[in-house]
Amino acid sequence: MLLLATLVSACASDLQTKVSGHLSGLSKHQRVAILPVEASDAGQKEMAKMFRQGLYANLKQSKFNLMEKYIVDGLLKQNNLNDPASFLTINPMQFGEILGADAIVFSRINKVERSYFIVHSSIELSVSVQMVDTRTGEILWRAEQTEHDFSGIGKIPTGIITALFAPIQFVTNKFNLRKMTSKMVDKLTALVKRPQDAEKDTQFEKTVIAKNATTDLNKIEELQQLKAEWNKALALDEEVLPVETYQEAQEKTLAPIKNSSSPVPVGQIQNQVPLRAVVRKVGTTDAEMTPATPEIKKQKTVAPGPLSAYRATPILFPRIDHRLSRMKTKSGKSINKMLYTVQVGAYKTKAYAQNLSKKLVKKGYNAFVIHNKVYKVQVDKFKDKQDALKLAQFILKKENLKNFITRATAG
Amino acid sequence: MGHCRISPFLNLSLALLGLLFAGCGTVDLEVRQGNTNAAMQPRSVAILPFTLEEPVHEKVAPNELFRDCFYNYFSFLGYVDLPLETIDQKLSQAGLTDNKKILELSPEKLRKILGVDAVIRGRVLSASNFTGGIHAETSINAKIDMLDLRTGDVLWETEHKEMSYSGILSPTIVEIIQDQMDNVKVNQAYYKTAEMFSISMMKEIPDPADSWKEEIRLPKITSIETNLKPSLKLKPNDRIYVNLKGDPGLTGYFGIGSWKSDIPLKEIVPGLYTGSYTIKASDEVSSSLIVGKLKNKNGLTGKKFYKNGMAQFDPSPVN
Repeated sequence: MLLLATLVSACASDLQTKVSGHLSGLSKHQRVAILPVEASDAGQKEMAKMFRQGLYANLKQSKFNLMEKYIVDGLLKQNNLNDPASFLTINPMQFGEILGADAIVFSRINKVERSYFIVHSSIELSVSVQMVDTRTGEILWRAEQTEHDFSGIGKIPTGIITALFAPIQFVTNKFNLRKMTSKMVDKLTALVKRPQDAEKDTQFEKTVIAKNATTDLNKIEELQQLKAEWNKALALDEEVLPVETYQEAQEKTLAPIKNSSSPVPVGQIQNQVPLRAVVRKVGTTDAEMTPATPEIKKQKTVAPGPLSAYRATPILFPRIDHRLSRMKTKSGKSINKMLYTVQVGAYKTKAYAQNLSKKLVKKGYNAFVIHNKVYKVQVDKFKDKQDALKLAQFILKKENLKNFITRATAG
Repeated sequence: MGHCRISPFLNLSLALLGLLFAGCGTVDLEVRQGNTNAAMQPRSVAILPFTLEEPVHEKVAPNELFRDCFYNYFSFLGYVDLPLETIDQKLSQAGLTDNKKILELSPEKLRKILGVDAVIRGRVLSASNFTGGIHAETSINAKIDMLDLRTGDVLWETEHKEMSYSGILSPTIVEIIQDQMDNVKVNQAYYKTAEMFSISMMKEIPDPADSWKEEIRLPKITSIETNLKPSLKLKPNDRIYVNLKGDPGLTGYFGIGSWKSDIPLKEIVPGLYTGSYTIKASDEVSSSLIVGKLKNKNGLTGKKFYKNGMAQFDPSPVN
């Protein structure tokens, strides 16, 4: 009984793991990338390498397709993503695009502790792992594991010499660390290899989305609503002069082939939802999933020319709100001189329009608000339509703000 | 006197400890070719079925377990490794089912059948699993090499015995009991031994990963467009159109979130792929992003999300 008790206590293991029901949806068609393991100090580096190798070898037997390690490492290097500590701050969807992976596995070595006290020595390992679906941002698997083993009196030495030497050997022989890591990964990956066997307590109660993905998904959703409201506002605008921007030109090129016998395309069907009058925060206009780390910024940064370059022929315009788009002279006669401006937003609520305008002004744009049924945010005025077009494309590229060219009056 | 009594005891103990750990950890792998020229390094590798020279009493095939385990670890290195099922299928299609005869095939013939640059040949010379009294032992003694099918040269080879032993030499009684309990699970014991063998080998096998890293290039997608519009809630029979621009001559797909994958896209002009998906009444999903994919012949996939909107579904029942 004593032996059994000792045996049980000899190798302590604490594993907390949970999987999502969607994990079993991954098949050989889905590619999963195991990212380099985060290790806080040099002493953990070797363990990190061993752990990743073990994880890889174990998950090779799972239902999904593992991406080759050298491809993952090569692509990360090409994108200047060399620090595993920064991986968790990056949107999983960006990893999806960088690696072409459907899911990614983040892992971190929390602890590698070896201790020795003459007749007793121990090793403690602790790791955290998380698998995220890059298509949805959903966490498919999360685990925390601590493994502890020791050598010493507690295990009843077979002799005096072994009582003295075994603890030294236990902490110094790398073979033991290797064995422990292998054992640890075995336990850790058991559930991922057979997610269908997951008990209720090892399943997420509801879908859990990774924090970075949530932020960006919310931005996209909010942007979508903002666009809907904008479209409604545009419908009210009588003076719109749509100009074919690069993106619009592309859309035309890529226009879907209409098949009369096929179901009606989404844009033409009668499922228009009435637009709500709620106007979202202008902060959500940032549509692109912006990189969270400087490394990605380097890769993704678009380098348009300076803003001033797009102001070849603007009419100097005071930075004040304009309540009327058509200013009249004192005699009441309209100023009919043709000018062009770039409209970036339209709101029912003045405060929101002003908010966007202020943000653009802060960035150096000559933005202003006019009121004509709705509050419109416009930038600069130009004599030459081409200059307005250049600025429109610049704003689209730099700020990701859809816009169009419209007529404006001098004032 | 004391010194005389302790010294032999100490020596014996050290020798026993040395014996205890003999066979563990280090593999003596001889690399025959330096392969300094990256262009000459084999890229694609197939692991041939391992042979078993001496049959074992247990109802397990240690050679097959070892091959599976070796493959799992070997694929961590920078080679393009053919899946084991594919290898076995190709060999079977060529009428080759005898593992020993496969090893005797000429490099030319193997290259013709498998279409790879190199093969790994494994011969399990002996394997044993024994548990009795206080003694528990599992061992695998094998000879493994890599043969370059383009030149017929052996690139590296090793002969190693990996053994997990527990018994009179074990330092603690708890370990003896624990190891015995583990050793009676024959399959697991062989696999663990094979695993230690493989891990030790991987440290020695030349890894060409650094030679290929710079060459890796995912298929490029320059743009993705859909006909999704803000505030539209998709209903059954609505159709999502996807157009994708990218590298020409590849296989295009798109997916809707994680619930619908690999919907084919057709390349209508070089570099322009188009496809659609019609919503079905049974499609019950929440908001999802559209993702376009281009896959090349090496299986590398470029992905791009359509970030200007999400596919949103109308939860109301269909009339």
